[in-house]
Amino acid sequence: MNALLDFRGAGAVIYKELRQIMRSPFTLALAIGVPMVQMLLLGYAINTTVEHVPAAVFREDRGPAAQAFIDGLTGSRTFDVVEYVGDRNALRSAIVSGRVRVAFDIPPNFTADVVAGRNPAIGSLIDGSDSAIAQVAYGSAIALGGIPLRNFTTGAIPQFEVRPIVMFNPSMRSANFFVPGLIGLVMQNITIMLTALAIVGERERGTLDQLLVTPIGTAGLMFGKLIPYVLVAGVQFCAVLLVMRFIFQVPIAGNLALLTAVSLAFLLVSLGLGLFISTVAQTQIQAQLMAIFILLPSVLVSGAVFERSLMPEPMQLFGYVIPLTYYIEILRGIIVRGAGIAELWRSMVAMLAYGVITFVLASIRFVRSTR
Amino acid sequence: MSDAIAIDALTKIYGERAVVDAISLSVPSSSVFGFLGPNGSGKTTTIKMLCGLVHPSAGRATVNGYDVVTQSDLVRRSIGYMAQGFALYGDLTVDENLEFYTRAYGLGARGRERKDAVIETVGIGRYRHYLGAQLSGGWQRRLALAAALIHDPPLVFLDEPTAGIDPVARRDLWDLLFRLTAQGKTFFVTTHYMDEAERCSSLAYIYEGRLLAKGSPEEIRELQEVTPRGSVRYTIATDEVMDVFRRVRSIEGIRDATIFGRDIHVVVDASMTALALAGALRLDPSRVSPVEPSLEDAFVMLTRSRLQDERAS
Repeated sequence: MNALLDFRGAGAVIYKELRQIMRSPFTLALAIGVPMVQMLLLGYAINTTVEHVPAAVFREDRGPAAQAFIDGLTGSRTFDVVEYVGDRNALRSAIVSGRVRVAFDIPPNFTADVVAGRNPAIGSLIDGSDSAIAQVAYGSAIALGGIPLRNFTTGAIPQFEVRPIVMFNPSMRSANFFVPGLIGLVMQNITIMLTALAIVGERERGTLDQLLVTPIGTAGLMFGKLIPYVLVAGVQFCAVLLVMRFIFQVPIAGNLALLTAVSLAFLLVSLGLGLFISTVAQTQIQAQLMAIFILLPSVLVSGAVFERSLMPEPMQLFGYVIPLTYYIEILRGIIVRGAGIAELWRSMVAMLAYGVITFVLASIRFVRSTR
Repeated sequence: MSDAIAIDALTKIYGERAVVDAISLSVPSSSVFGFLGPNGSGKTTTIKMLCGLVHPSAGRATVNGYDVVTQSDLVRRSIGYMAQGFALYGDLTVDENLEFYTRAYGLGARGRERKDAVIETVGIGRYRHYLGAQLSGGWQRRLALAAALIHDPPLVFLDEPTAGIDPVARRDLWDLLFRLTAQGKTFFVTTHYMDEAERCSSLAYIYEGRLLAKGSPEEIRELQEVTPRGSVRYTIATDEVMDVFRRVRSIEGIRDATIFGRDIHVVVDASMTALALAGALRLDPSRVSPVEPSLEDAFVMLTRSRLQDERAS
């Protein structure tokens, strides 16, 4: 296994690879530009029906009116109550961590106030990350106030209202949802495609054998091939962040350093997948088809384009198989909701585990394929 | 003169098939060694084993005194390798390609000087800033040779260096190889061209992984199997090659017939004179004359006698 640690010649390969990348800047521009345009089109064109939005409830009143409200909530198609929490902070963190999109806070004395006709208000927090969901949730939440409380009768018609507050994206702009997803896709797709093509290209043109008789080590060759694409991905990352911040006007609520670190970690996944493809594919066409085979499902179910909580259950489960899902959850968490490690550690651990496993397995395959 | 390569019963088995079957050879220094055989006979696999790219299944080999298995690192540093086809980068310039190999061999401060030296050697200076893809086939091979020479190795493997390039470029490349052997370099070359084989100082011919003959071109032409005892070789010049060829094969006492362009080389029983052969074919006697076996005759005969042995066993 010492071939895995033979880094000689990495510098030479990096030199060559960068020269080759710079030789065709048009290809590179195309590679970066096309998915952006695609995403812009997708982002503006997609509209989904909003149902089964996951919700959390903090119930400070034990009375029958509160129970009647919860029954109404669970009976609605719009909301699914997935969590009951014990205090107001937990309500907030359920949203920041991305577990729920909506939270309801039933105040103490709610039943008493309804009975007394004091017109109490139920507080509601709405995650504005996905503007489409937020808008529907906002309307539905207010409408809950007008619904008669079933199984709860006093002499008069019970009166109360729901006062929703949209968090993170108060103006409910769609850019705040799809642009972070775009970052995830761009970071994944180009990196997988370019690394796979760069390595398979050497095999296809017969230049790999010529390389293998030089003292360039296997790890030197591998990292020499990958590092230039880490640089490309870095440039790309900065570009999409700038576009996001200054063209789409989406502010980064969380920590930029954390965002960068997580994105670097995600590169392990996409470089690993690219490397893996390169060990299987014999021609560039094959590599391209295999890349599409991996990319297409990840575009559809990772949550980059379609909100995951709106998908049917099996699709949501399938999403957990795809590493991009975790990255996009982290991206939205940091950028839109200002989440940190405390709220996102589960996704971070899952993504990192994916990355390390993919990368190590791909490296081992790569070392074998060059012997 | 010490040997640049010593091969002892080198074998490579893929699955059930011995692609290279117990080959033993030695290649003297400062020479051009020709390694011949039909496509798929195991030439490239042998070269890859000698370069340390493929592990032998059995047997051993030393290259420049280093064992190809246990000292493959030292082997790689001491050899140059020019793969089949154009195995450099079409989207890098001549200079960038060489710069890459300079760095790959870690030549450091010596790099600049070596790069200039190989550019001078192969004479590619005026194309220095052309992209690899813009060069003609002949110049691409010269560039590849320059890259293979960048670290000044005493021994260079060339896998079909002249396949697909024009005759003038072919001759130029061979002249260059001979100039370099005069400076002490050794070349291990595979080729399908008989005129190139004739120019080699020694040859090996392999067929289906087995070594059928080795020696200088003269030695190979004089082998027993090439002109079996009691037989003689004639050449028949004719304008109706196919027609005469068909008739030749039905003659009593014929052992072999091979078409070479507008000539047919035949091997017949020694009792048959040129006159008798011409008579049997109803040709003018001036059309038939005795001939020395060419290298191609030799390889054809070696292959046929191997096939007969296989059928017999």
